[in-house]
Amino acid sequence: MKRYLRLYGYFLQQRFKILMEYRVNFLIGATSTIVMQIAGLLAIWVVMRQIPSLNGWNFDEVLLVYGLITASESITHMFADNLWTIGWGYVRSGEFDRFLVRPVDPLFHLLADRFCHDGIGNFLVGVTLVVKAMLSLGIALTPLNVLYLIVAILSGGAIFIALNLITATSAFWIVESIPVTQIVFNTHQFAKYPLSIYHRSIGLLLTWVIPYGFASFYPASYLLGRDVGALAWLGPVVAAGLLVIGYRVWQFGLRHYASTGS
Amino acid sequence: MIQSLRRTVNVYGAIAAMVPKENLAYNIWVWMQFAVQIMSMIIFVYFWRAVYANATTLGGLSLQQTLNYILLAQIIAPLVENRLIFHFGFLVRSGQVAMELVRPIDFQARYYVESLAGLGVYLVQKLPLFLLAWAFLGLQLPADPAAWGAFAVSLILGQSILFFFDWFFACLAFYSTETWGLSVVRVGVATFFSGALVPLAMMPDWLQLLAAALPFAQALAVPASFLSGITPAAAAPQVWLIQLVWLMGLWVLSRRVFSLAVRKVTVQGG
Repeated sequence: MKRYLRLYGYFLQQRFKILMEYRVNFLIGATSTIVMQIAGLLAIWVVMRQIPSLNGWNFDEVLLVYGLITASESITHMFADNLWTIGWGYVRSGEFDRFLVRPVDPLFHLLADRFCHDGIGNFLVGVTLVVKAMLSLGIALTPLNVLYLIVAILSGGAIFIALNLITATSAFWIVESIPVTQIVFNTHQFAKYPLSIYHRSIGLLLTWVIPYGFASFYPASYLLGRDVGALAWLGPVVAAGLLVIGYRVWQFGLRHYASTGS
Repeated sequence: MIQSLRRTVNVYGAIAAMVPKENLAYNIWVWMQFAVQIMSMIIFVYFWRAVYANATTLGGLSLQQTLNYILLAQIIAPLVENRLIFHFGFLVRSGQVAMELVRPIDFQARYYVESLAGLGVYLVQKLPLFLLAWAFLGLQLPADPAAWGAFAVSLILGQSILFFFDWFFACLAFYSTETWGLSVVRVGVATFFSGALVPLAMMPDWLQLLAAALPFAQALAVPASFLSGITPAAAAPQVWLIQLVWLMGLWVLSRRVFSLAVRKVTVQGG
């Protein structure tokens, strides 16, 4: 474990050396996603300033949900973006074969190979929204609340990574895995708003099948004092379980990997 | 004269005929876009229903008008996400731009024909989405053929406006190498100001002014408003005239800027 941490630090250092070669590109990449976020937020603001609440959730409460999912998503964007590119970047090119002959876990190598700076902007937006919403709503940033937030965002990030890992494994069979990943990943859009606005079946889907609800709706509900029972505390358990499943699926895929031979 | 015209039609016809073949080659991507668009349509339907639980009209629009508009906007939204600048960046980086410029056909006209053919292919491809939205998500389409005509003409005009704007914008690739970031910014601004997320009528005055000053709404909000019962078909001639002015202005501008910018090309011999 210690060795892997040290290795990761080393990979990160090398990656930043590359990124810093082109400073302007780094800055544009790190901030350009903020424009996309502003477009989405401006749309919510335009609508919410005309109505008192969305299904009983006011503007700041919706921002809290939106901010939590954005921060969680940025974790996978920064640290596991290679799960998107594994198909065309590593499997098709034969680059992946190199990982298999090295004395580190191939999955670790894949993830550590590229820290993605494009996620930094989303992370900043997400955290800013969460803090802004909590201040406006008068929710104190007590040590317990801050700890809860950190665990919630990390669990949310782990759920994103695990789901992307499961879908990215399809690259071992079909090479081009992005469409498969995109379809599952995109369901997180539902979790940008309170799940209570949807039909019950969508809420159940986002809780028990593709559990993005634990990345936004349930922690937000807990912080706002809305009763969601044990679901407020289940996030880390779901995340850990999903990571185990994801790693198993990955190993299963790895055993069936036959290089493209290119 | 006639012979050269026939030659032109043949050349550009062949280019247009390539577009559907290219699209069919990437089948799984088409399915992915279907799934993603259906999801965002479902999200928007529930979102707007929850919004209208508190109000009967917003910005003068009823729930049904807004749902019609938003469903149509979601179906045509990917058309607004043009990334021509990204493509130009690729041409410059790979050095292919030199080959493109020496071809015996007009560089811009070739891309314009491709984009119009792409629009046709896109609409045919997305017919199932129209049907789905109509059958399950409460999309109500007008029976009046005039509304459809107004929609079709303003969509073609609007997409052409967007094409010439993007041509002008893509010329930045001759000056900067950071085309990915620029294209993301362009998509973000266009997504909002085209009216893909919120009907323009609901925006505060200053945002409406901005939306009117930018070309993006011409390609999405303007045509979608005809088909969703927001703009009456009788207003079509006036709307088309405004679009024609946009079109002429951006066409002239895009050609001038391109002829200036192209001198900056330094092919790296890649």
